[in-house]
Amino acid sequence: MAPALILVVLALVVPLLVAFATAVRDPELREAMPVTAGLLREWDGRGLPPEPLFEAAARELRAAEGAQALGALSRRLNFERSGMRGMLLRTARAEMAAPYSMALPALDARWGEVATWTMLRRAALGVTPLYLLRAVDLDVAADGSVVAQPEEEAVFLRLFGRTMAIALQVTVVTLLVAYPAAYTMARLSPGWARLATVLVLVPFWVSILVRTTAWFILLQREGPVNAALLAMGVLDHPMQLIFTRFAVVLAMVHVLLPFAILPMVGVMKRIDPRLGRAAASLGATKWQHFRRVYFPLSLPGVGAGGLIVFMLAVGFYITPALVGGNSDQMVSAFIADYTTSTLNWGMAGALALLLLVLTGLVVGLVLLLVPRLRRRMA
Amino acid sequence: MLARRLLCSAVFAVSVLAGVPAQARDLMVVGFGGGFQDNARKHLFQGYARSAGVAVKDDVYNGEMARIAAMVKARDVTWDVVMVEAPELVRGCEDGTFEKLDWSVIDRAKFVPGGTLACGAGAVGWGVTLFYDQKRIANGPKSYAELWDTAKFPGKRSFRFTPKTTLEIALMADGVAFQDVYKVLATRAGQDRAFAALDRIKGDIVWWRSGAQPLQFVASGEVAYAVGFVGRTARAAGEGAAYPLLWPTLLYSFDYWAVVKGSPNTAEAMRMINFMTEPAPLLALAQDWAVSPATKAVADDAGVRARNPGMVSNHAEEGLSINTEFWVEFGDDLEKRFAAWAAR
Repeated sequence: MAPALILVVLALVVPLLVAFATAVRDPELREAMPVTAGLLREWDGRGLPPEPLFEAAARELRAAEGAQALGALSRRLNFERSGMRGMLLRTARAEMAAPYSMALPALDARWGEVATWTMLRRAALGVTPLYLLRAVDLDVAADGSVVAQPEEEAVFLRLFGRTMAIALQVTVVTLLVAYPAAYTMARLSPGWARLATVLVLVPFWVSILVRTTAWFILLQREGPVNAALLAMGVLDHPMQLIFTRFAVVLAMVHVLLPFAILPMVGVMKRIDPRLGRAAASLGATKWQHFRRVYFPLSLPGVGAGGLIVFMLAVGFYITPALVGGNSDQMVSAFIADYTTSTLNWGMAGALALLLLVLTGLVVGLVLLLVPRLRRRMA
Repeated sequence: MLARRLLCSAVFAVSVLAGVPAQARDLMVVGFGGGFQDNARKHLFQGYARSAGVAVKDDVYNGEMARIAAMVKARDVTWDVVMVEAPELVRGCEDGTFEKLDWSVIDRAKFVPGGTLACGAGAVGWGVTLFYDQKRIANGPKSYAELWDTAKFPGKRSFRFTPKTTLEIALMADGVAFQDVYKVLATRAGQDRAFAALDRIKGDIVWWRSGAQPLQFVASGEVAYAVGFVGRTARAAGEGAAYPLLWPTLLYSFDYWAVVKGSPNTAEAMRMINFMTEPAPLLALAQDWAVSPATKAVADDAGVRARNPGMVSNHAEEGLSINTEFWVEFGDDLEKRFAAWAAR
């Protein structure tokens, strides 16, 4: 029991907490401008702030720029409101004198807006709901209320829907292909079964990148698949196979097949062959035996294989990026992009958390449904 | 006895984990790969290794700033000298990802105007142009406006998966003149216009992420037209591919050498950058590879210019200079919008 508990904590609880913490952490303003952040938290948020706050902001922005510490803050504020980066940089580089409550708005009118200061005040709290809200296409308005994102920036709900749809499609196709394969493998003599297992495992040991690239070569315009179809007269123009949803599903099914076949074979091998003879002696046809006896008994294998395939499929992004079109990219591609190129780890954390929760819900649902289905069929 | 041996191995393990040998690793240079890096390895990297008597290794990346930012944050800096594009360099300088360069070691006077920034010393000019395979398509588009004519020029088009260069190209295709591109793109209406222009050909766009991809796409016939790095296109053309170099479609900028903040080899890295921007090794490099250095003496060298018709700096007047200040200010917003647009 204890090892299982440790595994669950390490593999599930810790990542969930880390993702959540990354998604709500908001340290940039506090780190770059500690005095300003303190004053902002004391300020009541009504009207424009008092002179000391203006002065602290001006001084600390200047110091932060000199110390090469302005980047993270300007990225953070620019993420909440476009154009903030330019304002911060101009302010940090300007020569100014007291009173700063006059000098700052003179430099950039936005320093004279209450909305700018209330936004800064929210950013000084250390935690923010902003990333989680953006991950579901919501936004924090200037007055702090929650509003919908404008149409051209609302992308994530659609993306989550697409990710789930592709993962489900891939899971269904994989199970349909894997079931007959596993059924056959479970009935082979030990020697042939070993060979079949090796054949299933060999592609499993080849890197995903290599297998995906192989599909790219097979499916391209002047590739062997199109050439064969043209030669047979099935087509008179090469068909667009690569950069399509079809290519994404095909390549993902290929990568994920072993994950479905192996658990199914394991379960099917344990089904007692005497049950078949018993069913026959009671007058069941072959089909009735399969439907009422064999299939319900093999369902745990189908459920396990399906769950593994689904959970892996949800996280794919290299395959869609290589063989898919623009409308086949999945959430993980954005998580990767936020972590590696735009450095927005808050957004990456928020998306990862949502993906984890959604996957968890689907898995929970399946775990709940499979035993019921099994009872009903038997 | 056993206790002492345990203690010894524990001390050893701790000293290894504490990173004692940080000083011992070789100087690491990281660039964008390709033919340039193969030749730079010979003349610049190993050239410095020979002259300074230190070991130099090199590696390749695709410009992902996060890898560098992460190693700076973790105080485990394994890269010393990095080749960086201009807007990323300026942003990385603000972030404290790169060291401010030591101009007492690096001679600032030898560079062309715009060849140095606080954290970067100009390495080479680079550019992108439109190209296609004339063996497949005898008469392709000559301008971005024609590239947008999908009725006259059917087939997929490949662009780099970044708003930088793609949005400029979209505006030029929509009829904006070279000199007005950044003025228009700085307004909300201009940005809307660029995305609307991209929308018109969206179904025909295939994105590329690494510099080798556009050449693979065009060579395999998967894509009819691509906008790719000039150096690689010129190289392929030199090796027999029928790719025209359409200079009026050029967009160009400089890449810079930068030093990763917190590198244990900072002083060595500064000296190496000074060596790599000296005329002698660059002239040797130019014998093997068409470069457009930011070092004035080499960029203006008549022999180098004549030998390398594919030099970006030979065609500066025909092309659009990518505006670094613009991308520093608007990069975050446009990247966000571009990603959202591309995903739908």
